[in-house]
Amino acid sequence: MCDIIWCKECDTVNYLDPYYFWNWEGKIKCAGCENVYYIYMIQGHMYKGPDKKPGEKPDILPVYADKPNDGYEQILPGTPGKTRPYNCLPRHIYLGRADMVKFSARGRPVRGWRPQPPSTGVAGSCGFTWDIQKLSPEVWQEYQEKIKKGEVGEW
Amino acid sequence: MAKKVREVEINSREDTLTLMGPDVRPWPVTPPPSPEEVAAVYARRKAEEFGKWCEDNLRIEYAKGKPEALQGVRVLSCGLWRMGHKFAAGLLGELGAEVINVEPPEGDPLRKLTPFGREEYMLEDKNGDKCGLDFIHELRNAYSVTLNLETEKGRELYTKLAQHADILIEEYPPGYMDQLGIGYRQLSQINPRLIYCWIGEHGQWGPMKDKVSKYGQWMLDPFGQAACSFIHNTGFPEDLLPRGKGGDPTRSGVWFADYVAGEQTAVNALAALFWRDEFSGEGQFIETTAAEALMDILDFDITWYGFNKSIKARTGGWDPNLNQYAWNPCKDGYMMIGGQTDRLWYRIGMCIERELPIFGRLIHEDPLLKEMAARNALQALTKTYTMTTMWLRNINRVEAEEKLMQYEIAAGPLLYIDEVAEFPHFKYRPWVNVLEDEEYGTLMYAESTNAYQMRTPARVKWLGRPLGKDNAEIFMKYIGLGQTELRELKEQGVV
Amino acid sequence: MKDQRVTRIEDLPGPKSQGELEEMKMPYEEYCRKVFAPGQEKTKPESLKGIRWLSTTMYIFTPHSVANLAELGAECIKVEMPRMGDPMRHTSPFNECYLYPLHDSRPMTGTGLGFTNANPNEYYISMDYHVPEMKEAFYRLVKLSDGLTECYRPGTFDRWKQSYRYLQELNPRFIYVWGGGFGYGPKVFGGSYDILGQAHAGLASVTGFHEDFGGHCTKHSNWCIDWYSGTQITVAILAALYWRRKTGLGTMIEFSQVQAATRCLGYTVPLYGRFGIVRQRWGNWDTQLCVHGIILCGKSDYPDEPNPQLKYEARYAVVSAFNDPDFKELCAIIGRNDLWDQYKTLQQRVRPQAQIAIYKALEEWAADKTRSQVVKTLTDAGLLAMPVMNDKEVYECEHFRQRGTIRWLDDPVFGDVLIQSGYSCGLMSKTPRRVNWIWRPVGADNVKIYHEMLGYPMSKIEEWYEKNLI
Repeated sequence: MCDIIWCKECDTVNYLDPYYFWNWEGKIKCAGCENVYYIYMIQGHMYKGPDKKPGEKPDILPVYADKPNDGYEQILPGTPGKTRPYNCLPRHIYLGRADMVKFSARGRPVRGWRPQPPSTGVAGSCGFTWDIQKLSPEVWQEYQEKIKKGEVGEW
Repeated sequence: MAKKVREVEINSREDTLTLMGPDVRPWPVTPPPSPEEVAAVYARRKAEEFGKWCEDNLRIEYAKGKPEALQGVRVLSCGLWRMGHKFAAGLLGELGAEVINVEPPEGDPLRKLTPFGREEYMLEDKNGDKCGLDFIHELRNAYSVTLNLETEKGRELYTKLAQHADILIEEYPPGYMDQLGIGYRQLSQINPRLIYCWIGEHGQWGPMKDKVSKYGQWMLDPFGQAACSFIHNTGFPEDLLPRGKGGDPTRSGVWFADYVAGEQTAVNALAALFWRDEFSGEGQFIETTAAEALMDILDFDITWYGFNKSIKARTGGWDPNLNQYAWNPCKDGYMMIGGQTDRLWYRIGMCIERELPIFGRLIHEDPLLKEMAARNALQALTKTYTMTTMWLRNINRVEAEEKLMQYEIAAGPLLYIDEVAEFPHFKYRPWVNVLEDEEYGTLMYAESTNAYQMRTPARVKWLGRPLGKDNAEIFMKYIGLGQTELRELKEQGVV
Repeated sequence: MKDQRVTRIEDLPGPKSQGELEEMKMPYEEYCRKVFAPGQEKTKPESLKGIRWLSTTMYIFTPHSVANLAELGAECIKVEMPRMGDPMRHTSPFNECYLYPLHDSRPMTGTGLGFTNANPNEYYISMDYHVPEMKEAFYRLVKLSDGLTECYRPGTFDRWKQSYRYLQELNPRFIYVWGGGFGYGPKVFGGSYDILGQAHAGLASVTGFHEDFGGHCTKHSNWCIDWYSGTQITVAILAALYWRRKTGLGTMIEFSQVQAATRCLGYTVPLYGRFGIVRQRWGNWDTQLCVHGIILCGKSDYPDEPNPQLKYEARYAVVSAFNDPDFKELCAIIGRNDLWDQYKTLQQRVRPQAQIAIYKALEEWAADKTRSQVVKTLTDAGLLAMPVMNDKEVYECEHFRQRGTIRWLDDPVFGDVLIQSGYSCGLMSKTPRRVNWIWRPVGADNVKIYHEMLGYPMSKIEEWYEKNLI
C-alpha cells in the first residue's frame, strides 16, 4: 500500500493526501495507535517504507483516517493526538451541513432556514414579497427584539 | 539518400532559438484530424447533419468573407503598462471597430517588457525596433499613433482625434487627463456623443483610489487581484502544502484582473453605444476597475460573509462545493476529473475500481460518501482524492483521459502551451493560430473567442504595431496634418 | 427650424449653464462622485431597455452572458427544468449555505449560494421542452424575443427542433448563442467545466509555484473562467445587436469556454510559436517585473481572532518597486543597499536568480513584522504596497462602500443579502447597471410569462403543472 497506510495492528486506514505527500520523506504516526512509520515518497509512489519505527518521534499526523472494518468509523481532522488539525477553514467552526441562519451578518431577516411555509400560487408562481410577519411570526418577533437591543445595523 | 547536414554550433540556449522558428519547426507538428474523421465523431451521436451545418456556417475559414459587426465604430485607446485598455479595444477591434492606439513618443513601457529580461525573446520590426511579446499579442487590429500629451500641441491634436471617436478607452492614473484638460468633462463638451471609458486597478475616486509612487511608478495587476480577495482565496492551504512552498495565497499567473476589467469595459461601452444610437444620441462616462470587475465574478464570496461571516479559505486544486471536481497529480502531470451527481460520481468510481479494486472497498462502500451533499465535507474530499490519485499516479494523462472518456466523464489533462498547441481539437478549430505579419513575420497567437459566428465573426488582422507607424495616415485623415507640419511636430517632440 | 445666422450658446462648446460651469470647476473626485452617484441608479434609464432574452442555461458560464444583459436592463427569462431547477442551485460551500424555498414541493431543499450572481433580475419559468407538447410555447417565446443563450450538448437542441436551423425561420431577427466547452470539431461532445478550461487551455500550467520551489499547478479558486468567458459572449451579443440595427438580421454565435482561457495567456502563445519556449509557473512573483510580487510577513495582523483566516492568514502583502528609483528606495528601507548596487537595471533585477535573492531579502526583513507594518512602512516612504485582503476586509472596506460596489439588498423573496456583483462591473454615468433581485424560486414567474405574456389560459398552466411539464 502506498498513498494510504493501512495499519494492521489497529486496522486503521491513514489517508496520505496527494499534494502534501506527493514528494515527501519523514515519519508519520498512525491515527489509530502509537505506531510510527517511516515513509519516503517520490511522485506519489512509496520509494521506501512504510517501515515501523517504534518509539521514534513522528514528524506529522495524517489529516484524516477511518476504520472500514469498524463501520467506517471516522477519525476527523484535528482529533487530538490522532490527526492533525485542518486550519485553513472559513470559520473557527466547521459544520459540513446547512447552517440555519435567520439573520444576516448585520442582523436583518434572511430566509436561510427550513422548512419554509408554502407561499406560492399556481404552478409554483410567487410574487415579489415575503410577508415575514405572517409567514414566520416567531422570526419577526425575534427581529423586533434585536432592533430593540440595537443588534441591527446598517452594515 | 544522404540527409542535408547543417552546420550549427551551439554554445548556449540562445544559439538554439533560431532553430525553433516557424520556418524550421512549422506548426502544427502533426496535422489536425481530417474533416472525415470529425464527421465520424458527429455520426456516432447521430448528429451528422447538424455537425455539417455547423461546419458550413461557423468555420473560421469562412470568416474573412463575412461582414464585420462593428464596422464604422471608431475607438480611441490610450494607456500604458496595463492590459485592460488593450484587451477592451482588442475585443472591439476583432469585431470590426477601427482602433487607434495613442502612445507617447517614447512608446508604451509594455513594449520593453520581456520575460526574465531576455531581449532575445523580443521581435524586431522593419525599423529594427524591438518589441516584447505581451504587447504584440494583446494589441490587436490597432493603428499606432504617437502624441506627447504633456505638450499643448499634443493635447490639441488629441482633442481633435477625440472629436471623431465613438468610444474612447483611457487608462492613465486618476485625474491625469482631467488635469491636462482632456478628460471626460472637457471632451464631452466638444463631442457629446463620446463614450468615455476609464480603466484602473482600484478606482479614480474613493479612499483607496489608484496611486502612483512618489517616483511616478504605476500600480499594476496584481493590485487589482489583491484588493478583491481573489489572491487570499487562491492557492493551496497550508494543510495541503507547507507555507512558503506553495501553501500560500497565490496570484494568477497572468494579469487576470486586467483582462476581466477589459472585457467588462467592452460590454459597458457597447451597451452605451446601443443606448446612444437607439434612444438618446448621448455619450457617457464609464469607469471599470480591475479589483471590482474581478470581485463581480468571485462567485458568492462576499455574499457568503454577509450570510454567516465566513471568510473564504484556499482549497488548492480542489473545490469545496463539488466532489469530484478537481485536478490531482498523475504519472506525467495533472489530470482534471469532474462529476458530482450520483450518476457521474459512481461512473468515475467504476472506471477507477476496474484497475484499483480497493477503491470500491474504501470509497463506494463507505456509507458516509453515499449522499451527494455530504461528499463535499472536507474529510470526504481528502479521502476521495487520495484514493483517486492512487489510481492516477500509475497512468499518464492521455491514458486517464481515454479511460474516463469511455465512461463519458468530463475529464481532461492539464496541458502546457506546447501541448495546447498540438491538442487535436485546438488544432482543428484552430484556437491557437498563426498569421504572417508584415512587420514581425510568422506569429502564433490565441485566436479570437468570437471568431465562430454565422454572420459577423470576429477576426484578427494584425498583431502589435511598430510605434507611430500610422501617424501620417491618421493625422492626415482626421486632422489634416500635412508632411511638413508633421515633420515640425516631430522635431518639437510632439509626435 | 434653427436660424443658421444666429449663434446659440447651446451650439458652442463649453459649459452652458451656471450648474455646468460649476461642474467644470469641481475637484475631480467630487465630480466623479456626482456623475456616478452610487445609490441613484434607479433614477437613470437602462441601456438595454426593450431587449428580451431567453436563458436556457445552467451552471455559471452561459448564465453569466445573460446576467450582464439583465443588469444592463434587458428583460431576461430563465428557463429551468421543472422542480429541480439549475443544478447550480444545489451547490453550496462545504454544504453550509442555502436560501429557502427552492420550490413549494420541496420544503427541505434550498438554493445554495453557488447559484449567486449568475442570474439576477430575471424572470424564472420552468419547462421540460423536449416534450412535444411544450414545443409551441417555446416557439411563442422565441417569436417574442430578441435572442437566446443555451448550453446543451451540441445537437441536443437540434434534435428537439429548436436549434438555430429551425428558429431563424420563425424569427429572422433572432440572435442565437450556443456556449459550451468545445464546439464543432473532434471533441465536440466533450463536457466542460470551469476547471477543465483552466486545465486544458494552459492557464493552470502558468499559475502556482514552480515545482523547484515545491509547488503545484494551482486552480484559480473561483470559477473565474466560466464567468470571464460568459462576459465575452455578452460582447458578441451586443455587437450582434449593433449589426442587427443596420441589417435586421440575427445570427448564431458559437462560443467555447475552453478557448477563452488560452486567450488571456499573453506572451505565452507567441513565445512558444516563435522560439519553442514553454512558459512555466512563477508563483507570486512576476516574470517581467521585479520587485512586483507578494511576500510573506512574519506576524498576523489579528493574532487573537478566532477565525483562522484572520488569525493565520492575514500575513501577505503586495510589494511593487520595479522602476529604478523605487527599487533603490526599497533597498535602503530594508537595509540592503548591496542589492541596489548589484541590480541597478530592471533587466538585471528580473533575472530568476536576482528575483530569488531579492524576495528572500524582503521576506527576511518582514520576518519580525506584521503585514500592516510592512505596508505602512513602504507606503509612508511613498512606495506602492498593499495587504492581500480577505473577504471580511473587502466587506469592511470604505472604498467599495462609497462606490456602491458592495451593498446590502433587501431581496423581495429572500430577505437581506449582501451583493458584490452587478454594481461592480463598471460605473456608468447615464445608464448604470443595477441589481433588482438575486434570483427567484423555480417557476416563480410561470403565470406571468405563460399566461400574461404568451396568453395561455390558467387551466392549461395548471394542467401542465400537474403533468410535470412546467
